[in-house]
Amino acid sequence: MGIVRKTQPKHPLAKLMEERIVIIDGAMGTTIRTYGMTEADIRGERFANAKKDMLNNGDIFSLTQPKMIGDIHRRFLEAGADIIETNTFGATTISQSEFFVDDPREHGGRKDPEFYQKIIDDTMLSDLAWEINETSARQCREWADRVGNDTGRQRFVAGAIGPLTVSLSNSPDADDPGFRVVTFDQVLTAYKQEVRALIAGGVDTLLVETIFDSLNAKAALVAIREVFDEDGLTAAGKELPIQISAAVGRGGETMISAQTVEAMWTAVAQARPLSVGLNCSLGPDLMHPFLAELAGKAGCAVSCYPNAGLPNPLAPTGFDLLPDDMGRLLGEFGREGIVNIAGGCCGNTPDHIAAIAKALEGVAPRRYGAALIEVAA
Amino acid sequence: MSLDEKQILSEDDNNEARVQGSGSRGQSAETQIPMRQAEGNDGEEQILSEDDNQKGNDNDETTPFKPLRLSGSQPFVQQPGVYMMIGERTNVAGSPKFAKLIKEGKYEEAVSVAVQQVENGANVIDICMDEGMIDGVAAMTRFLQLLGSEPDVAKVPFMVDSSKWEVIEAGLKCIQGKGIVNSISLKEGEEKFRANARAVLKYGAAVVVMAFDEQGQAATYEDKIRICERAYRMLVDEIGFPPEDIIFDPNILTVATGMEEHANYALDFINATRWIKQNLPHAKVSGGVSNISFSFRGNNKVREAMHSAFLYYAIGAGMDMGIVNAGMLEVYEEIDPELKELVEDVLLNRRPDATERLVDFGEALKAAGAGGDKAAEKKAEEWRNGTVEERLSHALVKGIDAYIEIDTEEARAKLGRPLLVIEGPLMAGMGVVGDLFGAGKMFLPQVVKSARVMKKAVAYLFPFMEAEKAAMIAAGEEVKAQGKIVLATVKGDVHDIGKNIVGVVLACNNYEVIDMGVMVPAEKILERAKEVRADIIGLSGLITPSLDEMVHVAREMERQGFKVPLLIGGATTSRAHTAIKIAPHYSQPVVHVLDASRAVPVTTSLLSVDGREDFETQHRSDYEAIRTSHNAPKAKALPLAEARARRTKIEWRDEDIAKPEFFGVHTLEDFPLSTLREFIDWSPFFHTWGMKGIYPRILNAEKPEQEEQAKHARALFADGQAMLERIVEAKLITARGVYGFFRANAVGDDIVLYKDDARSEELAVLHGLRQQVHREGSEPCRNIADFVAPKETGLADSVGAFAVTSGIGLPEVVERFKAANDDYSAIMAEAIADRLAEAFAECLHKRVRDQWGYGLTENLTPAELIQEGYRGIRPAPGYPASPDHTEKGTIWKLLDTEKATGMKLTENFAMWPGSSVSGLYFAHPQSRYFALGKIDRDQVEDYAERKGMSVDEVERWLGPNLNYK
Repeated sequence: MGIVRKTQPKHPLAKLMEERIVIIDGAMGTTIRTYGMTEADIRGERFANAKKDMLNNGDIFSLTQPKMIGDIHRRFLEAGADIIETNTFGATTISQSEFFVDDPREHGGRKDPEFYQKIIDDTMLSDLAWEINETSARQCREWADRVGNDTGRQRFVAGAIGPLTVSLSNSPDADDPGFRVVTFDQVLTAYKQEVRALIAGGVDTLLVETIFDSLNAKAALVAIREVFDEDGLTAAGKELPIQISAAVGRGGETMISAQTVEAMWTAVAQARPLSVGLNCSLGPDLMHPFLAELAGKAGCAVSCYPNAGLPNPLAPTGFDLLPDDMGRLLGEFGREGIVNIAGGCCGNTPDHIAAIAKALEGVAPRRYGAALIEVAA
Repeated sequence: MSLDEKQILSEDDNNEARVQGSGSRGQSAETQIPMRQAEGNDGEEQILSEDDNQKGNDNDETTPFKPLRLSGSQPFVQQPGVYMMIGERTNVAGSPKFAKLIKEGKYEEAVSVAVQQVENGANVIDICMDEGMIDGVAAMTRFLQLLGSEPDVAKVPFMVDSSKWEVIEAGLKCIQGKGIVNSISLKEGEEKFRANARAVLKYGAAVVVMAFDEQGQAATYEDKIRICERAYRMLVDEIGFPPEDIIFDPNILTVATGMEEHANYALDFINATRWIKQNLPHAKVSGGVSNISFSFRGNNKVREAMHSAFLYYAIGAGMDMGIVNAGMLEVYEEIDPELKELVEDVLLNRRPDATERLVDFGEALKAAGAGGDKAAEKKAEEWRNGTVEERLSHALVKGIDAYIEIDTEEARAKLGRPLLVIEGPLMAGMGVVGDLFGAGKMFLPQVVKSARVMKKAVAYLFPFMEAEKAAMIAAGEEVKAQGKIVLATVKGDVHDIGKNIVGVVLACNNYEVIDMGVMVPAEKILERAKEVRADIIGLSGLITPSLDEMVHVAREMERQGFKVPLLIGGATTSRAHTAIKIAPHYSQPVVHVLDASRAVPVTTSLLSVDGREDFETQHRSDYEAIRTSHNAPKAKALPLAEARARRTKIEWRDEDIAKPEFFGVHTLEDFPLSTLREFIDWSPFFHTWGMKGIYPRILNAEKPEQEEQAKHARALFADGQAMLERIVEAKLITARGVYGFFRANAVGDDIVLYKDDARSEELAVLHGLRQQVHREGSEPCRNIADFVAPKETGLADSVGAFAVTSGIGLPEVVERFKAANDDYSAIMAEAIADRLAEAFAECLHKRVRDQWGYGLTENLTPAELIQEGYRGIRPAPGYPASPDHTEKGTIWKLLDTEKATGMKLTENFAMWPGSSVSGLYFAHPQSRYFALGKIDRDQVEDYAERKGMSVDEVERWLGPNLNYK
């Protein structure tokens, strides 16, 4: 007899979403940049001798500058975020390797499954990836609970599982469209480790986000399922809710693997996510038609945390939209009945999140659930 | 079950089962077929009683149809009652040709088999590598990864087909969408079945469940339904498998084998199908159809008839999909009636000698040689009829490589040099690809696919280029090597998937790409660029700090005296940023490349001997314009209310209001060209040819250094005159127009037109836009509506509207010149026709002024006319005073333009044919031309409200006029 799927009680986050639109936090990377940290700050003593630049390896800040990261979590919570994300966008062996291992292409070599197998087997990278995930999850847990207790409002921690720096769908070899730099099993191994460490650190949900390659995302979902089964969470009725969020281009397709939103929803529906949605890439206005389409098809909650408009290096924040703009646009999405979870991605500061939270106050959440799917079918 | 136990139904006791009510809900009309019901002695449930029927209906009402939902890169949703097509030519077991390709490692050709399947309408592609000589896991992985890079195939869901679980799992690891696993069963016991089912669920796929258990394959109706029910209950109740994602294959087994116990196999399948659809909610049914006719191998005529007839009945019973070679299907209605009767006798087990009779008939058929000749006439594809340029463009956009070499050769023969083919039609095609990608109408994998087609074309041209080079060397000329491009993601940034795609696209275009990877410091990039003597350096970055690093690289290049162009790309980069922040630090071209589709046109221009200078000039002036407009202080816009208060001040007096001779519309059929030529303004004619200056001064040199230009101008003018003469004399084109006068008053920012003198009923509304920025001192904020008497004045004012063309017949003239390879005359004819259209508008304006009365006394020379030294204006929608092109729609309705003249508006509100002009006429002495300039959000919102458009839509039409984007 295999594992028996226990019926799980309704998650408090799911209950909350029946009452109102839930707010998720803003961007980590672009907010970190407002603190003016230097290369020396991110390295601290621990990475003082690292060979490559660390400054843009933002996940490392959770280890070397926990105060600053804690401050960002706190500010987002105080701005009204119900959910904060761990600072783990690139916290896998594969993504971390880019900052620690020489790129073979610098010497005329290439990245291929053989190269990545060494990465997967590298204990330094693997220990580091585990540590970032677990540490960041604990930091988030602490701040979420602290602000939650102070305000009498439960807060949640989403374990952020990023898209990786490699693609399972794309061939970088002009002569061989069938070539892939990495294998599904390697990606799966990296993700499983991340999932386990996030759970160990105490996250409430697992958020597979900024999906530009749906096959990468599928590996993350398989990783989550395998961890649930192998580690006895399924048998104990303690599976964590899964959240899924894609980054789509102007035609509404996942940017590298070109999957449309309905096709993506179809592909992930069996994972029974708590929510599915769109984030990053396009600003709210360009994202709107695809979000509306998804809201019309998905049988689960719908999330939306776009960039603050398109990147605009000439604007003071690096992005087009100011807090009021984001509030106005996401407020419209709320009134249109197409979101259950709203927040921001790149370019969204705590002020943006406060404006979004304010705009959505008292706005009824999108209705979803079994009844809705039947109608849609 | 022996034959005598079986009750054969005669025609009389036919029970016309109501298929419609029997679980296969929503079948289309074709499948509502009279179904002969087999009545087994011991199988009471096989008899479709009223009770069963009733039960089935209840079931339907409580559980609505849940379609099978699948996806590749596109979604697929099963439609009720529509049979799903599964392409099976990519199955080594079903297609010897495919098996051979795989065994020989000819994967590229194998991929084209999949492409054909999709082109032929397969909804899903079945992929099977089960063959003793093939390494299933490796072949499945390799083939699916290739299909993943083939956008036309990757859009459909895949069916991963194997009897080996590890092959299935290898397949599932390659598909981003939701496919179908074919298959799992209880053959190896419950434990294995559960584990496999859970794994399918984990990867996210639908599943085919074979009616197999520990005892073996279910052949009889009873075994089929028993096993299917058992599997269903385990999947749904224990594992939580969505019932709509379960597809049963209750085994289609071969009939007409001569064995009595096989005689009822077809009916057993059909009845099991019906039972499943009635009793196992939402489950689907599939099967391998060709098995049914295996006894008639070699006799395709009989097999095709059997497949069709079998499907006819099985679909009627609720079968959702099946695996069958579409080429092995006869249309049911077209089966020879005699053959059909014999086939159905066999399938429905209607008489003991059915098999013998069909075998005899089949032999006779074969003997008569009617078996074979079903030559598929392949109709020449429509797009093959285009010009070679059109064909190349089509092939690139669609990613079709079938004819690329033939077409490339044709273009080479036409253009002479291989390089001209690349820089001409091929690059133009890639330009279209870039446009479509930019518009969100093509996706990255398709761009890469197009690049791979490009690669084939370039590869074809390669030997010719080599030969050309050799010849040049022999002649002692200098030879340019293949372009070398160093690409790198800058220091501090690890993102390079987009850059890799740029690399692939460039490599496909015969560039040598040196990709240095990610996190590359400036000094390493420059070192390598020197070492390999790179022709171009390309920098990529995704995060904002990379922008500063790019500035650093540019500075370093300047300091080290580099002379090669620098390309900038990546998600946060932009043209504006490149122009303003990066380009000023490096004296060579620094070009922003929006995406992979744009890389090649840029590199080609930069490395082209003939094209580089033009490209650079254009590029520098574009970037300079960006810098200028960026440095200009942001205009402060007046709030709309304030702008309205500053409308053009006009003291409204009755004597300034012109009264037209008539109200309504006049059509000008075949207007004389000889009249129009008098009204031509020649200055723009020279501008068309890139010559700046004013006619007639341009014809004469005022200074010696102008003599060269004046000579050119005179020659051009002579050619223009000759062309005009030719057009007028031979009446090569026809001028037509329509115009009218309408009762009008301004209401707010709009002009309302009325139906009658009482001015109570509105005919139409012309919408105006008001100036909001750069209104210094007491300068008014103008709007065209200001020039019409406001409603509250009580004055009976009027406006005119017109649409004229001199383009009727022009496309044919141009085509004739082009056909004769006389491009110069083709362009000249267009230039002259454009002038005639403008002349027409001018000439008609004169008539309109006369009909308003005040024109009769103006006494202007043609030169004065061209200077527009008269009263009144004729603004055109899309021009500075009223930039909204959609206003042409109102003019078209008012004048019934299309009916009157044949002129049309495209969906972008462009006028067809070319050489057309339309606009409004205003008569007030104070009316004047102005440029709207920038407007603010408050006016856009107000205008959207007035026009009944969304703000988005208005912003799209008025993009260049927005002060806030």
